[in-house]
Amino acid sequence: MTAVTEARTGASSPEAEVPARPRKGAVAAWASRQYWPAYLYLLPGAVFYVLFVLGPLGQTAWISLFRWDGLTEGRWAGLDNYRDLFHDGRIPSALAHSLVFVVAYAFLPVALGLVLAGLMSRIKVRGLTFFRAVLFLPQILATVVVAVSWRWIYDIDGPLNAALRAVGLGGLTRAWLGDYDTALPAVAVVGTWVMYGLCMVLFLAGVQKIPTERYEAARLDGAGPIREFFAVTLPALRGEIAIALVLTITYALRNFDLVWNTTAGGPGTSTTVPSVFIYQGAFITREVGGAAAISVCLTAVVLVVTGVVMRLVRGKED
Amino acid sequence: MKKLRLTGAAGVALAGLLVAGCGVPGAGTTASSGFDGPRITERVTPEDVAKLGDTTLRVLADAGEEDTLNALVPLYEKKYPNVKVKVTTKGFDDLMKTVVNTLSGDDAPDLAQGNQGYGTDGPLVKAGLIRPLDDVLRTYGWENFLTDGTLKQWRWSAGGTIFGAGSLYGISPVTEYVGVFYNTDKLAKLGIEPPKTYAEFTAALDKAKAAGEQPLMLGNAEKYPASQVIGLVQAQNTPSRDIRSWLAGVPGSAITDAGTVDAARTVQDWAGRGYFGPGYNGISADDAAAKFAQGQGVFYVAGSWNAPSLQESMNGRVGFTLPTRPDGTRATVGSMGLGWHIGTKTKNLTASVAFLDMLMSDEFAQNLTDVGRTPVTGHGTVKAASPVVEQVNGIGTKLLADDGQNFYLDWASTTMYDTVGAKTQDLLDRRTSPEGFANGLQDDWKAFQQKQREDAAAGAGS
Repeated sequence: MTAVTEARTGASSPEAEVPARPRKGAVAAWASRQYWPAYLYLLPGAVFYVLFVLGPLGQTAWISLFRWDGLTEGRWAGLDNYRDLFHDGRIPSALAHSLVFVVAYAFLPVALGLVLAGLMSRIKVRGLTFFRAVLFLPQILATVVVAVSWRWIYDIDGPLNAALRAVGLGGLTRAWLGDYDTALPAVAVVGTWVMYGLCMVLFLAGVQKIPTERYEAARLDGAGPIREFFAVTLPALRGEIAIALVLTITYALRNFDLVWNTTAGGPGTSTTVPSVFIYQGAFITREVGGAAAISVCLTAVVLVVTGVVMRLVRGKED
Repeated sequence: MKKLRLTGAAGVALAGLLVAGCGVPGAGTTASSGFDGPRITERVTPEDVAKLGDTTLRVLADAGEEDTLNALVPLYEKKYPNVKVKVTTKGFDDLMKTVVNTLSGDDAPDLAQGNQGYGTDGPLVKAGLIRPLDDVLRTYGWENFLTDGTLKQWRWSAGGTIFGAGSLYGISPVTEYVGVFYNTDKLAKLGIEPPKTYAEFTAALDKAKAAGEQPLMLGNAEKYPASQVIGLVQAQNTPSRDIRSWLAGVPGSAITDAGTVDAARTVQDWAGRGYFGPGYNGISADDAAAKFAQGQGVFYVAGSWNAPSLQESMNGRVGFTLPTRPDGTRATVGSMGLGWHIGTKTKNLTASVAFLDMLMSDEFAQNLTDVGRTPVTGHGTVKAASPVVEQVNGIGTKLLADDGQNFYLDWASTTMYDTVGAKTQDLLDRRTSPEGFANGLQDDWKAFQQKQREDAAAGAGS
């Protein structure tokens, strides 16, 4: 990153030999550096990417400019769908719920994963592979399975309430997913449980590539376990943390299946997220244009947020 | 680098748009302006069907119809030997999401089930995918046992914009409605007679509560069941005609009437006094039925379609009733079964009509009862295998005669299912007042009616 930035400032700075039309010069220079036949190798992948990723993406953006019931001829709406979106009272609360999910699906799992990775890398655990596999398990389960299991755990007669009653906290029992005050945190906890395994495995892999000399040096300098974690482990894991955050934040923002299969947005509207409205617009109320507009905005938000995270966490590295 | 990235992103977006082709989505499918296919003027005979030669009649149905079709198809193929029936069934949610697109494809089935209201039948009519059945209705005389009010659930204006008036687009031989199941053991223990009137019903609830029982079972995780309880009470106070006018979007109609607000207050009150027990918003409808069968709750307000399974899970210790209004008539949340439609593209019109004829015939009514459905055909000649199903069928016939099918509140708009569900949960949790509940529904209705008018105006302008 630094090298490229320097090259560019170099080209546009007064000292440069070619002050006129610097941009064209830069492009030409860039073009002359390329080995064009190399792009042929990218072609098959690019075709699939265009067909199955960019195509649908463009199509969604295009449809978002229409009022369309998904069937009969659509009516040009320009940016009306987006304007409606900004006046839609349901969106702000849905975004607030999404923020809670970002904390629970991204920040908490990353923190937990770091703690676990720190512990596991320090202490010699017997059967580490086994524990790692078990802790990673939530990640490979189908979301619907996860949702149904947790619905049962949270049930009014479920194991969570049974455990509370067993320890004399019967006053706290409730239908966790059916209560206005607990539904959102309850769904959030499920997300933390699903995601921390992934973070942990990523970080464990990262820890293994840290040279042991660094730990030795830190210990020689008299660093305790906590100091060692912050001075050696954490900085070395910056790349992994960025990846983990991007994956988990994306999952949190586009979260749909967990919410739909546990609470369907309820009780009332206490757990709605933007994806719920996309689903409803596309499949239930047949306002495909409006649903496409939410999708486009959601994609933009995900790109911006992950872009910012990448820059913040990883920026200085390359 | 940053600049390159930005141009890259812009290029990617542009490429995407180009790939999308930039055509108007849905071009080529215009809103229907009327039907000009062949009409049915005489009852279809096996000879008429035989003229089709060897053919396959393709049927798309809800998974709940499997037993019905297993009974019907052999009879049909025997009577019309040149026709082979090929049935495809899908779960309800799946069917609702796919039926419109399936019928618009080149390979559309001859007969398919939709769902009443703006969500599914509306788009089917609007796109001209299903055929009006006015000629069939008249030819076969179904009007003789189905009231005008009942038939409104399949009536649409030609463009599919106005519901409840216009041509008939669907038909069904069965009815489904919300009533009150009771645990016979518990009633006997409490010394309560099965309630017949609404006053007796509420008195029974109070008595059950006083005796330390949970009066009503409710599982409202899916958001709709509690709205059916409100609907049951609403039917006591608000005339069926008013509710159906509102559902149909008749200008000037409103759901904010005293009867509806009163019903909302009553149910909120029941929730507040613990009549539904704890945690009902976290219990699914299936779990609620299971818990009721295990002895939780004296009464259970639920759909008549639960009767066969409750009969089995409760070993017959279950009864069914629908409290009458002060004038002795009955009304409640309910409708006919999912409508059967004939696709516009069918090449087997006579065979399709013959299929509906057999389905709607008095001879088939007993078969419908045998698979646990509540036929509106058969004119009281059918006999159910268990007392509770017999009660369901008997009351169903009376309900039809009283013209008391109030349909479902969520038919009023494409978003109403969600609105009613969320507002009901808010109401029960005292997060909104009974007036707030009714106003919330009315606001949704207004917004939808406004959108319908805009769409109609834009359609006329283009």
